Amino acid sequence: MFKNHIKIAWRSLRKQPFFTFLNTFGLAIGMAGALLISLYIHDELSFDKTFADAERIYRIDTDIKFGGAEMRSAEAAAPMAAAMQKDFSQVESTVRFRDRGSLLLRKTGTEANTKELRVSFADSTLFDFFGIELLVGDANTALEQPNTMVLTKTAAEKHFGVDNALGQTMLLNNSDTYTVTGVIDDLPKNSFLREHTVFMAMSGYADAQLINWGSNNYYTFVKLIPSADVADFQEPLEGMLDTYMLPWAQQHFPGITKKSFIEAGNYLRYHTMALTDIHLYSNRDSEMSANSSIQNIYILSFIGFFLIVLACVNFMNLSTAYSLKRAKEVGVRKTLGSNKMELIRQFLTESGLISFISLLVALILTMVVLPFFNELSGKAVSIPFSNTIFWGVLLLATILLALLSGSYPAFFMSKFNPVKTLKGGAQSSVGGGNIRNTLVVFQFTITVFLIVSTLVVFQQLNYIQSKDLGFSKGQIVLVEDIFAVGDRLASFKEEVLKIGDVKNATISYYLPTPSSRSNSSYFMEGAMTQENAIQMQTWNVDPDYIGTLGMELVAGRNFNKQYATDSTAVIINEATLKVLGMNAEEALGTQISQDIDLERPQFYKVIGVVKDFHYESLRENISALGLFWNQTPGILAAKISPGAYTETLAELENVWETFAPGQPFNYRFMDDSFNTTYEAEQRLSKIFIIFTVLSIFIACLGLFGLAAFNAQKRTKEIGVRKVMGASVSQISYRLTVDFLKLVGIAILISLPLGWYAMDKWLQDFSYRIDIPWWVFLLAALLAVGVAILTVSYQSIKAAIVNPVKSLRSE
Amino acid sequence: MLLQLKNIFKWVNSGGQRIFLLKDINLEVAEGEFISVMGPSGSGKSTLLNVIGMLDTFDEGEYNFLDESVHTLKEKHRSNLYKEYIGFVFQSYHLLDDLTVQENLEMPLLYKKFKGSERKAMVADMLDRFNIVGKKDLFPAQLSGGQQQLVGVARALIANPKLILADEPTGNLNSQQSEEIMELFKKLNQEEGVTIIQVTHSEKNAAYGSRIINLLDGRKV
Ligand SMILES: Nc1ncnc2c1ncn2[C@@H]1O[C@H](COP(=O)(O)OP(=O)(O)OP(=O)(O)O)[C@@H](O)[C@H]1O
Ligand SMILES: [Mg+2]
Repeated sequence: MFKNHIKIAWRSLRKQPFFTFLNTFGLAIGMAGALLISLYIHDELSFDKTFADAERIYRIDTDIKFGGAEMRSAEAAAPMAAAMQKDFSQVESTVRFRDRGSLLLRKTGTEANTKELRVSFADSTLFDFFGIELLVGDANTALEQPNTMVLTKTAAEKHFGVDNALGQTMLLNNSDTYTVTGVIDDLPKNSFLREHTVFMAMSGYADAQLINWGSNNYYTFVKLIPSADVADFQEPLEGMLDTYMLPWAQQHFPGITKKSFIEAGNYLRYHTMALTDIHLYSNRDSEMSANSSIQNIYILSFIGFFLIVLACVNFMNLSTAYSLKRAKEVGVRKTLGSNKMELIRQFLTESGLISFISLLVALILTMVVLPFFNELSGKAVSIPFSNTIFWGVLLLATILLALLSGSYPAFFMSKFNPVKTLKGGAQSSVGGGNIRNTLVVFQFTITVFLIVSTLVVFQQLNYIQSKDLGFSKGQIVLVEDIFAVGDRLASFKEEVLKIGDVKNATISYYLPTPSSRSNSSYFMEGAMTQENAIQMQTWNVDPDYIGTLGMELVAGRNFNKQYATDSTAVIINEATLKVLGMNAEEALGTQISQDIDLERPQFYKVIGVVKDFHYESLRENISALGLFWNQTPGILAAKISPGAYTETLAELENVWETFAPGQPFNYRFMDDSFNTTYEAEQRLSKIFIIFTVLSIFIACLGLFGLAAFNAQKRTKEIGVRKVMGASVSQISYRLTVDFLKLVGIAILISLPLGWYAMDKWLQDFSYRIDIPWWVFLLAALLAVGVAILTVSYQSIKAAIVNPVKSLRSE
Repeated sequence: MLLQLKNIFKWVNSGGQRIFLLKDINLEVAEGEFISVMGPSGSGKSTLLNVIGMLDTFDEGEYNFLDESVHTLKEKHRSNLYKEYIGFVFQSYHLLDDLTVQENLEMPLLYKKFKGSERKAMVADMLDRFNIVGKKDLFPAQLSGGQQQLVGVARALIANPKLILADEPTGNLNSQQSEEIMELFKKLNQEEGVTIIQVTHSEKNAAYGSRIINLLDGRKV
């Protein structure tokens, strides 16, 4: 019987190639889209789960308010790990990381450095803790001794390969010598350690051995014993304020008590963050690597779900519509004794067949677009062909899809009254028009919603990129790792300035684009008490900083070489004024200091106020910042003439070669580095666009089929109307406008929805657009335009048919 | 003279062969005539009617309608001409299922750009004249065959055409219903001077007309 069903299903699909094509194609595209999204989400959800005992590992986070600003750090104090290991029996082991950013690396005795982008000091427990195996070397002892290091395979292969690695000595940043004690495989892409290529022994890092509970610079992980419950852990964690933090603080800020600490509005709270939750749920000020957010996962799941729903709706719509053509078949079958169940099974077999053909097409489509998708999403996902669970889920989903999309048409058709259908009045005996219309409205509601969302995301990103940031990022080349120049910093900068097309240049670690940050507490002269602390970014710059970056002084003056005292001067931003509660004129000449606990504090005098510039993502508000004149190596920022990039870069490299021979010349454009801040959003917006286009496409496919069908169904009506004097344009208008009404309703429903959702999304940004009215207009016009294009072809085709022909066939 | 066909030929090419549907038709119709077209099935009666109604083209010959030469007119002009002067009645009524009697009657007026108030008056007038006021809100499916054809005729007449073309208007009706329609035609022809050309297989119906044209294999005999 089943074989017979398949045979008949296959035949009836072949009998209506246009319908079968539309259905298969629509479903396949929906499936491929959903499959891609599922792979993406699966990858996101898999983060850090590959580590051994991942479910028992927690990171210690610190919320701190000490003085003005609040910090939500993903790091803890250096002594934290040891203290926990000692005090809590639930803690099985711990490991700490101290992030060093990037560094230059070369084998002793060679000249050429390589740049390793992510390097940390790590405790020797690292490998055992995360279950990371060493390719060579001993996991237990590898990072025990000071000045030892472990490389990833990729990093090792740049210098000597894995097999010869042990015992090699390397020079870090041209100064410190380290011995290689192990090589590990490259770290998994779906882990928080993915960027790391080098780990150095924490035992050689002096700061890590100090008992300093005041600064939080160590990513601290603890592994609990299997029987421990992390919920029981929160209270003892809070107790650490009394046991460790306050006693330490009293040594450095005499007179401080828990009471005065709390009464001044301060707090210090430690939290646990499950390792496996970091990627999607953690959003702290100092994440080790860029995280995603569960919100994105929700948005994508939503889109994936609706792609499938759209495709199902298409299927239902087209099937019920085309069932009119099969009304007679149903009638004949029924009079021949086929019962309802039998018919339902027949139709379900058909939808099953279509679903499985679509699945095949979808898999092929996915394989073709996967490389592009990976590039777009910055991932390396692949179809897990050898995974039986994957196939199981896929097959189950397909069967479910077939049932879902096939059951309504099946029940719908099996209900046909044989007497009526055989008499020929199929149109009136077969209903379902309202349901079809509802489904079209539903499809377009989703589509218009997605169009609105996409437009708003784009507007916001555009706004961010063109917003007056308070500094100019155009035509600025950044040359990194200036410390390689050594003590000839000043003459290096002079040489750079001699290049014709370099208009200005400055050297600093701190830039308004992603770079170093340094936050400290300051106190105003005369208010040197803990509760008057001002949290402020401390940026060491040179006098050319403001000029090169095109910042604006709203009061006072820039640093000037003529004034010797300017080495103890500070230029604050407008946000600092707000914290101080002063206007610019009042602030000039006031003095601030960090040294609350010193007899003779070092004061810095405010000589200027710089207009607020955005130095964090526009999600954040601008907070207090001070520029201090202090020559430090770091990054050279050079403003160059427009259109002179290539030559200027070549000349820059020449200068670099003379000052830092053999060192890699790393440069990038400030524009680009600015863009990385918004990479996540940009990725999301691109993914948005793709799937929006897909959903529009699917909706149009359905509309196209429905319009074709509708025109066919109304052949007689069109003929009669033409004989009564209707023109081609009147007829096509008539056929089109019926669909446009549906699209109109969809627009009315989706615009408020879109407005609401996108308004919520924008709340995440401190600086955001008001959703412009034309977004809605454009979305509506797009939907209407696309619908007209889709439908009018069929309508015009139907309208130009000679009525003599259509009426004769009656 | 209402219309004049001169040496009209119509053919189709099928399988490399030219098949003639109309051969050398010459016909003059004066205003106020009531003509019956007869002939065996497939003899070209419907084809002739469609040509006269300008729904179909012909391949050779001349066709003059009220001194306009139809064969040289542009499509748009031709459709205006026919919109203004011609009404159609079909064998299978061809009322629109989704529209009520009243709306079916109103439809041709819409395409002829009558104003709303005018349309209302004209529809009311027709309902009155055909005694179907009580049925105005019914759908075609709720009417008998005779009643449906009555509406069909009313629809053809509503815009006051000079010429009514009816292709077997009583083909689907019983003899009593058929007689009613024929009486109606006769009345229209005699009292209002409407020119009527009907295709019929029945001698009895043909006798209502003032002239009979016989077709055989696309040729007038
Ligand atoms: N487009 C066409 N292509 C081929 N043959 C055609 C075409 N249109 C009509 N015919 C043929 O022309 C002939 C005349 O058709 P027509 O419909 O005019 O016949 P009729 O006299 O109205 O017949 P009936 O009394 O059955 O309605 C028929 O043989 C028909 O098959
Ligand atoms: Mg005929």
